[in-house]
Amino acid sequence: MTGSGDGWQRVHPASPFVRGWVALAALFFFFGRDSFERLLQGAPVFDERLAGRAPWLLLGGGTVLLLTVLGFVLGWYFTRYQVADGYVRVNTGFLFKQQRQARLDRVQAIDVVQPLLARIFGLAELRFEVADAGQSAVHLAYLRADEARRLRATILASASGAAGVTATPGPGQQDQPGQPGEPGLPGQVRPAAVEAPEQTVLTVPPGRLAGSLVLSEQSVVIVLGAVASVVLSAVTENRSFYFYLIPAGLGLVAAYWNSFNKGYNFTAAISADGIRLHYGLLDTQAQTLPPGRIQALRVSQPPLWRIFGWYRMQVNVAGYGTAGNNGEGSSRTTLLPVGTLAEVLTMLSLVQPDPGTPDPLRIFTAGLNGLAPAAGGAKATDDGGFVTTPRRARLLAPLGWRRNGFAATDTALLIRSGRWWRQLVLVPHQRTQSMALQQGPVARRFRVADLVLHTTAGPVAPRLVQAGLDEGRALLDAQAARARTARKRQTSEHWLARTAPLEPAAQEPAPLEPAPQEGPQHG
Amino acid sequence: MRTEAIDPPGVAWLRVSPKYVTVRVVGWALGNLVAVAALSLPLVLVLNGAWAWPPLWLAVAVPAAAFLLALWRLVLIPRQVRSIGYAEREDDLLIRRGIFFQRTLVVPYGRMQYVDIGAGPVERGLGLCTLKLHTASAGTSAEIPGLPAGEGARLREQLSARGEARLAGL
Repeated sequence: MTGSGDGWQRVHPASPFVRGWVALAALFFFFGRDSFERLLQGAPVFDERLAGRAPWLLLGGGTVLLLTVLGFVLGWYFTRYQVADGYVRVNTGFLFKQQRQARLDRVQAIDVVQPLLARIFGLAELRFEVADAGQSAVHLAYLRADEARRLRATILASASGAAGVTATPGPGQQDQPGQPGEPGLPGQVRPAAVEAPEQTVLTVPPGRLAGSLVLSEQSVVIVLGAVASVVLSAVTENRSFYFYLIPAGLGLVAAYWNSFNKGYNFTAAISADGIRLHYGLLDTQAQTLPPGRIQALRVSQPPLWRIFGWYRMQVNVAGYGTAGNNGEGSSRTTLLPVGTLAEVLTMLSLVQPDPGTPDPLRIFTAGLNGLAPAAGGAKATDDGGFVTTPRRARLLAPLGWRRNGFAATDTALLIRSGRWWRQLVLVPHQRTQSMALQQGPVARRFRVADLVLHTTAGPVAPRLVQAGLDEGRALLDAQAARARTARKRQTSEHWLARTAPLEPAAQEPAPLEPAPQEGPQHG
Repeated sequence: MRTEAIDPPGVAWLRVSPKYVTVRVVGWALGNLVAVAALSLPLVLVLNGAWAWPPLWLAVAVPAAAFLLALWRLVLIPRQVRSIGYAEREDDLLIRRGIFFQRTLVVPYGRMQYVDIGAGPVERGLGLCTLKLHTASAGTSAEIPGLPAGEGARLREQLSARGEARLAGL
């Protein structure tokens, strides 16, 4: 650390401009547009009527500009951060001061984000999510890129409980550069800040990403909408109808571009600190999800993706919050934008190193693609132990009743649903918050009930639909018991204190041991 | 009339205070009577001859339907209140509610982040309170309304103590 003695530091001096360039651009746009338009029309740059008032206008514009710049600079000057004693502290504000601190061992996820402009300047933003949706996250914008990575390593090292006992790179991994452009380790005064070596598990080729976008649900809706509008305009003989399609088309291009930009060069890697995700074309982002931070996971497959056998994976992580309409939220909660069955299984093995079943391949495959035998009695078909909607309720879900079902392993509950829009939801037992069994009048008539599992805010909402009443009731009880035992086994938030460091993914991962040493039980 | 409940068998439910019916009736009156009155406004205007458009039958039918619906809701209130129940088990709290749309909720003590007690003006007048449990999930809308104040305080202490003993991380 190169800051003052007590470890308080400022973010990079260029940050106010990187943060404020949008405001500056807007200002210039506002004042420049009028002149530019007049220039195009061949009129003099300044209106004669305005010429007399030009000094006042310039003065006003200058004042606004100065105030904006001053605001950002002051904001920078009064923003200071410190990483010490197991806490990250950030002080902000010059009129209304705010001090925010977050416990390192409560870190849920840590991201290094580089928007395009920050990338040009070699800067990066560090986002530190603690267990609360939205507001309580700590954002440090901007740091030098290598400084951000070093800070991330420091935070992860102390969060993992491995401070001092640096995770030494295993043999044969010395030649693994962590990330392109990362400087070699100038290991001088950094006791615990060596980045855990990471091993790339999979990458998503751009061609497949583009293909997945073309075949996504979005495209189906667009094609339907286009057909509908063409038919409408033909029927009503209203040619100007096409005119309205132009802004819609622009919006669509923007949406596709956003998805492509965010998903480009998607790389998943595994390290002792958890799962690392790198992605982005212009804006790059590197996410680190420490082990056991994933609250719920969903594998889904839109109908058209079935042609190529592609799947998408999304996760709930405390602190990421719900994926709004903005691309950022949804990209942060995406664990895999598009992948094959083998890749999905690989990622599942990273998320849930101990599947809790002797035959994970069978049960996961059945969860993704399986279908219960149609006729009762024909139990010969292998369905991975999934319990589906009873036959008596097939009228409620004529297509889905053979899909809707659940299976419980020793470590997680799997819920599958959807005949066309296939889905598999996985909730680790020790992450179950609370559960509810729900039943409406129609469901009562068929003696079925829904089981809802509550998890932190995110794109995944685990719900077992139309389970048989007896099965549902039994599951409610059994699941409460399983969640209880799973919580008892998890004793520490420091993951390295809890388990052996994860070996590279190819090998059998270390199972969650019942940790005989009672770690500090953090409330 | 006893329909088959979705609760786990063998649970001894504690019921909320019958006085909670009053709270619900007051809430019902505030909501539904105002709505019915507002819907009756066209009827009055049509009868006065101020409005010509809505035919008389429509002007009568709309508020009448709203009134019947409101009456039906009123009749249901005592049964709805009776259906609310909670049970403290060794490791979790069960909360059930509903007759047509039933829901049975399980909240493990170790998952509770904090416990809230609140009381509206009517509840306070009757010496009742509403207890709310919060977990890390926004989906857990666990609340027990209509508890006698003493029981609410006891339950809060009990839940806090049990939660502390079993508190787990996220």
